[in-house]
Amino acid sequence: MTDERTIRIEPVTRLEGHGELTIKLGKGGKVKDVQFNISSTRFFEKFLEGRLAEEVPRIAERICGICPVPHLLASVKAVEAAWDVNPPSAAEKVRRLFLNAKQLSSHGLHFFALAAPDFLAGPFADPSQRNVVNIIKSLPDVGKLALQVMEYGQDLVSAIGGKSIHPVTATPGGMLNPFSEEHRDNFLERMEDLKEWTTDTVELAKKVVDDYWDVIENFAVVPTYYLGMHYRGNYEIYDGRLRVMNPEGEIVENFPAKRYRKYYGEHVPDHSYATHIYYKPAGYPEGVWRANSLARINVADKMPTPLAQEALEELREKLGRPTHATFAYHWARVIEMIQAVEEMEKLLTDPEIVSTDVKLSDVEPKKGNGVGVVEAPRGTLLHHYWTDEKGIVTKTNLVVATNNNIGGIEKSLMKAAKQVFENKEHENLNLPDPMIK
Amino acid sequence: MAKRVAFTQLSSCWGCDQSLVDLHLGLLDVIPELEIVYWPAVVDYKLKDLENLSDQSIEFGFVEGSCRTKEDEHLLKVMRKKSQTLIAWGSCSCYGGVQGLGNQWSIDELMERKFKTADTVTNGRIPEENMPGFTDHVKANTEIVPFELRIPGCPPTPENTLEGLTALLQGKEYKLPNKTVCDECPKEREHKTITEFHRTHEGKIDPDRCLLDQGYLCLGFATISLCGAQCPKVNTPCKGCFGPPPGVIDHGAKIISALGSVVDMDAEELREHFPDTIGSFYFTDYASSYLSKITSRKNKEES
Ligand code: SF4
Ligand code: SF4
Ligand code: SF4
Repeated sequence: MTDERTIRIEPVTRLEGHGELTIKLGKGGKVKDVQFNISSTRFFEKFLEGRLAEEVPRIAERICGICPVPHLLASVKAVEAAWDVNPPSAAEKVRRLFLNAKQLSSHGLHFFALAAPDFLAGPFADPSQRNVVNIIKSLPDVGKLALQVMEYGQDLVSAIGGKSIHPVTATPGGMLNPFSEEHRDNFLERMEDLKEWTTDTVELAKKVVDDYWDVIENFAVVPTYYLGMHYRGNYEIYDGRLRVMNPEGEIVENFPAKRYRKYYGEHVPDHSYATHIYYKPAGYPEGVWRANSLARINVADKMPTPLAQEALEELREKLGRPTHATFAYHWARVIEMIQAVEEMEKLLTDPEIVSTDVKLSDVEPKKGNGVGVVEAPRGTLLHHYWTDEKGIVTKTNLVVATNNNIGGIEKSLMKAAKQVFENKEHENLNLPDPMIK
Repeated sequence: MAKRVAFTQLSSCWGCDQSLVDLHLGLLDVIPELEIVYWPAVVDYKLKDLENLSDQSIEFGFVEGSCRTKEDEHLLKVMRKKSQTLIAWGSCSCYGGVQGLGNQWSIDELMERKFKTADTVTNGRIPEENMPGFTDHVKANTEIVPFELRIPGCPPTPENTLEGLTALLQGKEYKLPNKTVCDECPKEREHKTITEFHRTHEGKIDPDRCLLDQGYLCLGFATISLCGAQCPKVNTPCKGCFGPPPGVIDHGAKIISALGSVVDMDAEELREHFPDTIGSFYFTDYASSYLSKITSRKNKEES
């Protein structure tokens, strides 16, 4: 069979991680297999053992340099859960501000640097053109917009955490450093600009959505389960229960994070160091779920802030609930950016945000185990630690955000590969003229 | 004329990369001076494109991350061959990074936990199809191939990277400072004799006084000064993520000997305070320590 072949894309670019793609084609371009080969892992699950639990968050956040804040917070929350510690309410507010700031900059980075090049330069542009460096050179206004949105978020992370990458102030029992009035005033002052940039980003995203409607509606639309956090049905990223939605759009589970082992299955594929997390009661691969923006938007009944809610309604009007359109992730991300900005403004105007009562002074280690969960930009992130009576970690289990999506990504890639190689659908897609030529 | 530059990631967290992006509007000044020939996070060139470049055709090659997989080793060697000036970028590259803490175990034990016995795993096995395989232990990249320059940090600050890059672009010498974090720290150190250590979650830190004087393990005194004392400035002990000052090879050994002169405790008491010397004293540079090398050799002989 001479026309059988294997296509390797090595590495998959504009991805925060190490991945390759293998597509196996049979006779007549039939797609036989699609593998998303994640080719690196560093074994945090093991080497966190034996560490002082309060030092673990500073080690564990090194799992991801793009999303260290969610890791830091999930890790601290896991230690707090193991030790039965409840930080003061002001500390929780500062942490929420922290997490939203990261959500903003991460989504900015994702939209502009990782995704937008395909839309602005066009998916068939030469590789030397299809990147954010070229956007900065060819569409300086868009480039500047992107950099400013990211800067606001990263600056705020650094103001709270001491550094923007691998910040340090969250500790079991609260925050080691209060949020200063000076910082509060500074970020409030810059809030008007941020809102303007966000509006501009939304406008741009809307144009992209309209231009690429054909792609969104028809390409890589894959029904899966969804996993995401909520608080009484409201969209939530710091502290809430978890919901699982089935492909038909029914909420099939609603549970506190500490009971995750009943619902989470972890499939180890032979072709990837990143495992595939799935809804255990449904089995693998039927139970493959996705987390991330689209999942959060699907599982939440509503957004807690007004402009984000408006944006969600618009999405639902056009795509329904749930939406399985993989390209709608970009839209969901924009809704979350609006949400983050509104939430940040609310927190910055809350007098308690500058309270100095941000840390308990009587935290005691104890033997136990605890689960910490937050929503990271890429999805639900879970750390589970066991500690001995001295507060030394004896065992861990980590379910990082991305692994909730790999099974779903593979499904989307399979669908896309069939559409491209078997049916040549990409040739008939209705694509706009690229903004960058 | 723009310089030909490559940024590449071995096993890492991508934080060094993100740190460069954190130059934000500053990027607008730098980017026109660079011709990017490889940067997978941003540009769609593939490994084949890198392998097909002629030798020494990259003027500045930045390497983030360390070799946890055989693919990493391959990439590092390709980068060495293609680059005129190779830069060990970040603490992973300079010292092995946090993943070096894994050297306390054999690679089989690490794989066993992750792929077979983790609580949620439903079908334990070691992935092999189209997978590169792992290295036996983590080493500093500088022990695998020669480098012209090192910029440590976890991650280096955007300013650190910019300073290194600017020196390279202007053909100037770049030297690491012979100072410690304490030299940049606004808190006055009184060099108190320490009779008791507190863990970070204990008590309340007085924001006006040196953390070490208060009995919190702040490693600023034995850590290279490049970061601007970021952590003590926000009331948090330095954990030494930028590694030791120039000339010191074993960071933890240096910390222990320096501690000896400030504490009034016998060895037994010290051990009780620091039950995990590896995690506490060798945060991002355990792979470069003598201890790690001895353990790695032993693990190898046993297997
Ligand atoms: S040095 Fe630190 S920031 Fe850089 S890649 Fe390694 S872990 Fe990440
Ligand atoms: S707080 Fe830390 S860095 Fe600052 S002077 Fe004291 S020991 Fe040095
Ligand atoms: S103060 Fe210490 S731990 Fe903090 S960034 Fe600097 S070197 Fe790293």
